[in-house]
Amino acid sequence: MREDPASIVPLELAVGLTTLLHQGGVPVTPERAARFAEALPLAPPYGRQQLYWTARVTLVSDRSQLAVFDALFAAVFDGRLDPSDSRGDPTAPPAIGSEPRERPAARDNRPVGGPGDLPEPTPRVASPGAEHADEDGPEREAVLAAASTDERLRETSFADLDPEDVAGMRRLVRRLVLSTPLRRTRRSQPLHHAGERLDMRRTVRAAQRTAGDPAHLVYRRRRRRPRQLVLLCDVSGSMEPYTRVFLSLLQGAVTGAGAEAFVFSTRLTRLTRQLSLRDPDQALTRAGATAPDWAGGTRLADSLHRFLDSYGRRGLARGAVVVILSDGWAQDDPELVSAQMARLRLLAHRIVWVNPRKAARGYAPLVGGMAAALPYCDAFVSGHSLAALEEVVAAVGADDSWHDERKS
Amino acid sequence: MTDDADLDVRLPDAAALTRALDEQDYLTDLGLATALFLAARLRQPLLLEGEPGVGKTEAAKALARVLDTPLFRLQCYEGIDAGEALYEWNYPRQLLGIRLAEAHDTSLEQAELFGPDYLLRRPLLQAIEHPGPRPAVLLLDEIDRADAEFEAYTYELLAESTVTIPELGTIRATHPPVVVLTSNRTRDLHDALKRRCLYHWIDYPSPRQAAEIVRRRVPRSAEPLAVGAADAVARLRSLDMEKPPGIAETIDWVSALTLLGVQRLDADAAAATLGSIVKGRDDLDLVRTRGLSWLAGASHA
Repeated sequence: MREDPASIVPLELAVGLTTLLHQGGVPVTPERAARFAEALPLAPPYGRQQLYWTARVTLVSDRSQLAVFDALFAAVFDGRLDPSDSRGDPTAPPAIGSEPRERPAARDNRPVGGPGDLPEPTPRVASPGAEHADEDGPEREAVLAAASTDERLRETSFADLDPEDVAGMRRLVRRLVLSTPLRRTRRSQPLHHAGERLDMRRTVRAAQRTAGDPAHLVYRRRRRRPRQLVLLCDVSGSMEPYTRVFLSLLQGAVTGAGAEAFVFSTRLTRLTRQLSLRDPDQALTRAGATAPDWAGGTRLADSLHRFLDSYGRRGLARGAVVVILSDGWAQDDPELVSAQMARLRLLAHRIVWVNPRKAARGYAPLVGGMAAALPYCDAFVSGHSLAALEEVVAAVGADDSWHDERKS
Repeated sequence: MTDDADLDVRLPDAAALTRALDEQDYLTDLGLATALFLAARLRQPLLLEGEPGVGKTEAAKALARVLDTPLFRLQCYEGIDAGEALYEWNYPRQLLGIRLAEAHDTSLEQAELFGPDYLLRRPLLQAIEHPGPRPAVLLLDEIDRADAEFEAYTYELLAESTVTIPELGTIRATHPPVVVLTSNRTRDLHDALKRRCLYHWIDYPSPRQAAEIVRRRVPRSAEPLAVGAADAVARLRSLDMEKPPGIAETIDWVSALTLLGVQRLDADAAAATLGSIVKGRDDLDLVRTRGLSWLAGASHA
C-alpha cells in the first residue's frame, strides 16, 4: 500500500457521510456504510473523483438517489458545508435522526375531515365512530357493508359524500377486488389427466416407484397468471372530489392485485411503493408527500408520454390492463393526447378509461383530451360511485378468455 | 486464499482496471471501473442500470476478459425458473440408466440416479462450480425481466455464493463468482436485492468518448466519420425519440457507413443508412422532419 490517503479512518468517514445522507433522505443501511468503509482501503481516495465513485457505488442504491447524493457530496467535499457535526465521535447520539420524521405526520395528514366538523347528524349509527375506526375494524366494516346495500349510498357520487362517509367508503373501495384476465406464463404446473406436455421430472420420480418403468405419466400445462394491472390516476384540481376515494382504489389494487400505481397532474409520479404499506393511512400520507403536484393542472399527453417512456415501453404496459382515471380535461393539445394513446394502445392488452364526469346528465365526451383518447379505449366507464366502481371491476376483468393471445 | 492473492495482483486499484479494460477495447470512466473493481475485490454483486445500449452487458464481458476467466451469462425473462437457471436432471439419461441397470441386472441406488452424473448444469451452477484459479464472472442479464419470485430465488446465491439442490444438498463455491446484474428498470427491483448489491448507473458517454469507443470497435472506420457519427447521435438524443440510440447502435451505424466506404458523415450517407441508427417509423419521420443535413452536422441550428 502506498501512504497517507489509505490511512484515512474509513469508519469515521463512512459514518459521517452516511449520517448526512440519511438526513438528506437517502436511506443508507448500516450494511452499505460498512461496505463503504471496507471499500475505502481498497480504492484509496487519492482524489475527489475516486472518493466520489467509491462512495456512490457503495452507498447509493437507486438512480433516484443520485441527485441528493451529488448535492451532499459536493456540499461536504467542496466545502460548502462544514462537516463538523459529522466528525468526532461517530457514536454520538444526536446525529442519526431520521426515524421520527414519518410517524407524527401520518395522523395529521389524514385526508378525512376531523371529528370536529360534522356538518349534520346522519341517521346511520356508525358514523360518529369513524375517526377511531382503525381498531374496531370488523364490526364497523360489517355495519358499512350493510349500509352499502343502501341504494342511496351506493349510488351517491363520491363528490357528494359527507366527510364522515368518506372514511367508510374508502374502506369499502379498498376492498374491491380488481382482477385482470389471465395469460399463460412459461412456468408449468402438473396436470392429473393427459395434457399437452409431459412433466419429465415428475414422471421419472414416479417411475422409480415402479422399478424404472414410467407407468404413470404426469403431464403439465402452462400456468396461468393474471395480467399486470396498471392504474394511472389524475390528481389535478378538477378531479379532486374523486381522488380521495380513487386513491383507496389504487391502494387496494396495489396491495391486493400487485398493481402498479401512478398519479399525474402536471407530472407523473409512481406511487406503487408508497401505497404498498400495510397501514392504509400511512400509505396515503406517504403518497401525498411523494407527489408534489396535487390539485394542479392536467398535462395528460405529457404524463402519458412520461409513463410510456420511463415505464410502459420497458415492459410495464406490455400485455397489461391499463386503467386511466381522469376526466380528460387537459391543458395540452388533443392531438398529442391522441398520439400518446396510440402508443399505449400498441402496448397494452386493454385500456379502461374511468371518467367520473360521464355520470353527469347530458355529458358527452366531445371536448379535447377525452374525445381524442376515447377511440383507443376498450371500455369507458364512470366509476363515480360505489355502484359505478363495480363496472370498473367488470371492465378490468373483462374478456377472461385467454384464447385471445393475438394481442399479447 | 491463493486466488484472492492472484486477483489482488491483477487488480491493484481502479485505475489499473481502467487500463486493463482499455486493453480489452472496453473504454470506460473511473466510475464504472471503480464499480467493477469493488465488485471483484469486495466480491459483492454489482447492479448496473442505464439506458438500453450503454454497454451494461459489455462491461461484464470485458471484466471476464480482464480476469481471464469464463463468463457465465443468464438472460432473464419472465417465467424463468430453476430448471433454466440453476440445474435440471437429465431425465432421458436417468430413464436410460434405470433400464441399463435392469438389463445388466444390477441395482441402481437413488443416490446414483440423482448424482452429479445426471445433472445438467445451467449458468448459475456452472459459475458456482467453476474450479478457479480465479473466480468466474456471472452475468444475470436484465434481471428486471424475471419475476419477483426468481429474484428472491437468487438471494442465496448473491449473499452466500451457495446453491441448494434438494437431492444433493448445498453446494458451496470454492471461488465465489463475481456477479454482475443488469436492469433496464422495467420494474422496481426488490429492496432485498438492492441491499445486497453495489450500484452503478451508467450514463451515455460523452460524444468524444463515444467516438473513441466506436473507433476501437470498428477499427477500419475513418476518424472524422466516428466523430461525426458520435456527434450526430448526441443530436438525435436531443430529439424526443421513442427509442434514443445507444452506443451499440452507434457502432452498428459506423460499421454500416464504413462498409459503404463513407469517410465523412453527410446528409446522403445518413439517408442511406438511417435504418441502422433510427428504429421505428415515428422516429424516422421525426428525424426526417428535423432534416438530415442537421443530423449530419452541416448547419449548426
